[in-house]
Amino acid sequence: MSGEGNGAGWLSRVYARYGISGPVALLLLVLLLGVPLLPGEYWTHVGTEVLILGLFAMSFNLLYGYMGQISFGHAAFFGVGAYATAMLFTALKTPAGQIGIPQFFLSLLIGPPVAALIVGFFCVRLTGIYFAMLSLAFGELLFYIVFSWYSFTKGDDGIQGLLPPPLFQDAVNFYYLTLVIVVAAAVVMWRITESPFGYTLRTLRDNQRRAAFLGTNVMVHMLANFVIAGAFAGLAGALWGPFSRSVNPVLLGWGESGIAVFMTLIGGAGAFIGPMIGSVIYTMLQAMVKMYTVYWPLTIGTIILLIVLFAPGGILGVIDKRIRAGRSGQSANGGDAEAAARGAEPRP
Amino acid sequence: MDIGPYVLQLFSGLSRAMVLFLLSAGLSLIFGVMNILNFAHATLWLLSGYVTFSIFTFLSERLGASPWMLLPAIAGTVALMMLAGLALERFLIRRTYERELPEQLLLTFALVLILGDLIKLVWGLENRRINLGVQPIEMLDSLVNPYQFVIVGTGVAVAAGLWYFLHRTRFGKIVRAAVYSRSMVSALGIPIPAIYAMVFAMGVGLAALAGGVFLPLLPMALGEDLDIIVQCFAVVVIGGFGSMLGTFVASIVVGVVYSFSILFWPDGALAMIFLIVIAVLIWRPWGLFGTELRY
Repeated sequence: MSGEGNGAGWLSRVYARYGISGPVALLLLVLLLGVPLLPGEYWTHVGTEVLILGLFAMSFNLLYGYMGQISFGHAAFFGVGAYATAMLFTALKTPAGQIGIPQFFLSLLIGPPVAALIVGFFCVRLTGIYFAMLSLAFGELLFYIVFSWYSFTKGDDGIQGLLPPPLFQDAVNFYYLTLVIVVAAAVVMWRITESPFGYTLRTLRDNQRRAAFLGTNVMVHMLANFVIAGAFAGLAGALWGPFSRSVNPVLLGWGESGIAVFMTLIGGAGAFIGPMIGSVIYTMLQAMVKMYTVYWPLTIGTIILLIVLFAPGGILGVIDKRIRAGRSGQSANGGDAEAAARGAEPRP
Repeated sequence: MDIGPYVLQLFSGLSRAMVLFLLSAGLSLIFGVMNILNFAHATLWLLSGYVTFSIFTFLSERLGASPWMLLPAIAGTVALMMLAGLALERFLIRRTYERELPEQLLLTFALVLILGDLIKLVWGLENRRINLGVQPIEMLDSLVNPYQFVIVGTGVAVAAGLWYFLHRTRFGKIVRAAVYSRSMVSALGIPIPAIYAMVFAMGVGLAALAGGVFLPLLPMALGEDLDIIVQCFAVVVIGGFGSMLGTFVASIVVGVVYSFSILFWPDGALAMIFLIVIAVLIWRPWGLFGTELRY
């Protein structure tokens, strides 16, 4: 491991500045830019899925990694975002069956922050296991509303035929659109987590009572973060509708919420980019495993079990630990301590 | 007014309530004593249903078909599942006692996925049901399946037994004390790991009993566990973690509200339950019968 520190000097500096997330994010971006070069449309589709679900998982990690609260109803906002877009699509599209580009972007922007505000208003009164259960209850409530309100949401039939504007009907173009939106969203999220607000969230995670003594308005901060996380989840959902050309109530269910939890755990909640790495691994693995067996839950369940037992920090957590051990073993100077401090890990 | 449908829904609601009670009692005990929220509780229940079915079928083939074969089948399942519970606690759950809450939740959630798929692997996609061949009896303008009385009776008997166990036996008193202060119980020289193992096995045993008793009423189907575990969470939240009386009352509320909602708003029955849960969590997060101490 020690060789990595010297071998790539600039990479090492990026690591020192941004922690494990920096170099990983750069490498990932390069790889993602090249995905459409792979033969066949299949991998472009998988790549789009990786990006959308990765954004969803990163929004979940704002709550879990940074605020220390586990939500089992996060998919509600993903689903509300998907449905909001779907309905705007249906309402705005021209008789020819397609909508203009301005309306398309408008429909991506209007979404679930309102839903997150209402749900969050109740959820942030509680923490720990009660937060988890209340978010689950709200998520399932929204699921059943969408599921049974047939006249408004078409119930379990879902809404089909969500064609994006002609320019983006091509898989490669849609992939790059998704990439641009997801990268922009990730940059905004990174800014939020590195702002004073982001550090207040870490304080709330580590010791809520002490934060309150210091004069932090705990509920307002938690609610604000809940709405932010909900908005980004909604953005991911808004991309999902035109990507899969349809929406259905399952998008709001707790199975979908579980996906965000799994991705975050696999990649590592301790790194900003962790959930996206989790999404790469989860989605690719799913695409491959499903070719051979129907027992996907058994596979992913075993993986989760092993990660919880043996690698609680996820993939990036394990790598980061080894790099740190290598670097500090090599040269025990103050610069490394500073690097470790600037890495600003969400969860050690 | 024709009260027939309402009587029918009341009885089906009560039998549903008893199954929920058997499961939630174990869930609540395990959480109260060990601080572990066992997502896989209903999956163990589902597994027990399939195991009971297999033992019942085996016994019926060897010794001749008879509804009474259900009794040894249930007893065998409870014993097997309690052993499985001991093993689970020893080899998996025990490793997470010192971990953070999300990791404990994820471990048991992983068990849901693994056990669910193992059931599919062993028993296939087909639903399992035991047909006891009992004729419905006419009562208050409706045809009631008399087996529902057996379920309600079992539930009430277990509730009484649990009350006696928790309040009148030495081990039960230790369990209740552990709910309040594990460190104090440990300081008195009582081996906490042994208490944990026994409480977990007991909870799984109750779930196994529920699985066996449920089988002649409704078919066991894959995915049923997810529906039920969410309702069990609703029960323990409404009743209050660690409170047996609360769990019993909340089971009846959830079971009856569920079966009456089906009459009026079939798709929204669970939505009704979540509304109650949300109201309770906002108004009294520690539950109707729980104490603020544990919150």
